[in-house]
Amino acid sequence: MASRVLGTALFRSGFTVQDAPKYGAERRGAPIFSTVRAARGTAINERGVIHNPDLVVVADDTLLTVPAAGILQGLEQGAVVLVNSRESAETWQHRLNLDVQLVILPAAAEVEDRAELPHIGATCAGAAASLLGVIAPDVLAAAIGEELAGLGELVVEQNRRNALAAYRAVQDKKGLVREGKAVAAGDYTPPAWVELSVDDVGIAAPDVRAVANSVQVRTGLWRTLRPTIDYDHCVNCWWVCSSLCPDSAIRVENNTPIIDYDHCKGCMICVGVCPPHAIQGEPEYLAQQREAQSADTGAGDNNGTDTADG
Amino acid sequence: MSEIISRMKDLPSAHLLGAGTPMCSGCGGLEALHQIYDVLGENTVFVNAAGCMTLLSVYPFTPFRGSWLYTAMASAPAGAQGVRDALDLLIQQGRLPPEEDLQVVVLTGDGSAYGMGMSATSGAMDRGLDFIYICYDNEGYGNTGQQYSSATPHGAATATSGGTGGFPGYKKDLFSIWAAHQPSYVATVIASEPLDLAKKIAKARDMSGPRMIIALSPCPTGWDYDPRESVAIGKLAVKTGVWPLKEYENGTVTHTRIPRERPAVEEYLKTQGRFSHLFRPQRNEALLTEIQQRVDRYWAQAQ
Ligand SMILES: Cc1ncc(C[n+]2csc(CCOP(=O)(O)OP(=O)(O)O)c2C)c(N)n1
Ligand code: SF4
Ligand code: SF4
Ligand code: SF4
Ligand SMILES: [Mg+2]
Repeated sequence: MASRVLGTALFRSGFTVQDAPKYGAERRGAPIFSTVRAARGTAINERGVIHNPDLVVVADDTLLTVPAAGILQGLEQGAVVLVNSRESAETWQHRLNLDVQLVILPAAAEVEDRAELPHIGATCAGAAASLLGVIAPDVLAAAIGEELAGLGELVVEQNRRNALAAYRAVQDKKGLVREGKAVAAGDYTPPAWVELSVDDVGIAAPDVRAVANSVQVRTGLWRTLRPTIDYDHCVNCWWVCSSLCPDSAIRVENNTPIIDYDHCKGCMICVGVCPPHAIQGEPEYLAQQREAQSADTGAGDNNGTDTADG
Repeated sequence: MSEIISRMKDLPSAHLLGAGTPMCSGCGGLEALHQIYDVLGENTVFVNAAGCMTLLSVYPFTPFRGSWLYTAMASAPAGAQGVRDALDLLIQQGRLPPEEDLQVVVLTGDGSAYGMGMSATSGAMDRGLDFIYICYDNEGYGNTGQQYSSATPHGAATATSGGTGGFPGYKKDLFSIWAAHQPSYVATVIASEPLDLAKKIAKARDMSGPRMIIALSPCPTGWDYDPRESVAIGKLAVKTGVWPLKEYENGTVTHTRIPRERPAVEEYLKTQGRFSHLFRPQRNEALLTEIQQRVDRYWAQAQ
């Protein structure tokens, strides 16, 4: 949705635009991304994903440091990275150690509160519009009206409020994103040809023959909320939480439930069904902060996460 | 294969269905499937009609421990017939040891079970096909964006039934239609009641002939609620009497749970965005009363 709003706003500002979401066969909750290309006046001949983006907008900062998410791929010197985060630009600059311009969008609460989550697209589009510096606020508002018309006036208004608030929140960085040079077809470098030798299928694709190999897909990346079992209060009624977890992400060892964070999608069903309320839910970023701190100090974090990750 | 399941403690503690599937966070259908698979065991072959669950086995990944076959929406029972025949022939010819026989399991959504696949299912029951049919019923065409199906409840908003009244039709009584074929077994289940579910699946597993299961599957995406609520909503569906838990066997229908103090159905409806137009901007008293009366009438006749 963010890319459609941004694309329409750019189009209404006189640009030629291409915007497209990209996602796999996953259902709601999986990380998704979408891209927008804009050019002044000329046709856009490039297709597919953007290899060297001028601006990257990250709605969920827990994905940033995960290499598999590939968010930082292809960033060139001076590119702008807008991160929706509670942390400061300096912290991210230090953590990522990249020669890019980091801007913080202070709307992290929207990702943590799932009732607010539907508006995060508009929020990101609003901030991005500001950083591009070529979209006026009324054009942004009109683009939201056009894209969300089918959802009713209330929804449009709420999204407009969020987008314009985000637009203002990063106003001091207005126009930070520089326009790149026009791309000519003649400059296109075709990707290098990779020669693959023909192997026996048993060697080339052993995974296909393995049972339940879906475990290689780390759906833990989807999580914005993390459940943690407080073993001091757990009464070992594993048949409750481990049966009701839709994703088989709570295994049972010696009558003890253990959450598999590589796959837990953070639905929070287990938090609601645990009879003695021994499972707590917290924003994933807080859990990650806690882990980072205990790793820094070398102190053990014994809230169950250590055992569970093993 | 015949461990007794009578208490919560007897539920399987080993989970066979692999994690890492692409289903939505909090999917009530996946919750039911993993519980069912734990009871059926890995000597199963799944025949899956197009729907959300076909995303389970997207090459090269699968959460299953055995084979899985993809069919068109209308033809999963026909696919199951082919698989069953092949297994029988292999055993007959001595090419498959009888102890390696597999349980053939059809897995489809309500769009197939209540609609497009009905004729193929009827034929399979007529022929006494030895199989288990699992319908995960999320009350709409989930995979394509929750258009209404013949399982959509009266009044629900879907991608194809909007407006102040929601879906004008009525949920088809698939349990009775299936039971009228007099198959070996028909049961309704829901994942939020794992013991009732496991008992019924264990019973079905140890029988032969057509064994038909309908699992009401709360669907955060299609029903519009926070994923954490899937179990609470499932429990309310049973408590308010919207989803009767029952089984058919030897010509008799038995309710495995009779909700004594049924809270008002609106307690269930209120939890889901697909019914929000019944409450806002103002209460649709007439429609709420009609929905409640239909549930009351069901239970008056059932007892
Ligand atoms: C004959 C036919 N018509 C339409 C489709 C497109 N289609 C794929 S999945 C699907 C929805 C199926 O609904 P349901 O059986 O309830 O399963 P769910 O998606 O809800 O899991 C549809 C309409 C199809 N595959 N085949
Ligand atoms: S439901 Fe709660 S108390 Fe019971 S085993 Fe799970 S975490 Fe422990
Ligand atoms: S939040 Fe709990 S119930 Fe949901 S996937 Fe994670 S472990 Fe399972
Ligand atoms: S749309 Fe509904 S049934 Fe389909 S995967 Fe998502 S939650 Fe499950
Ligand atoms: Mg369906």
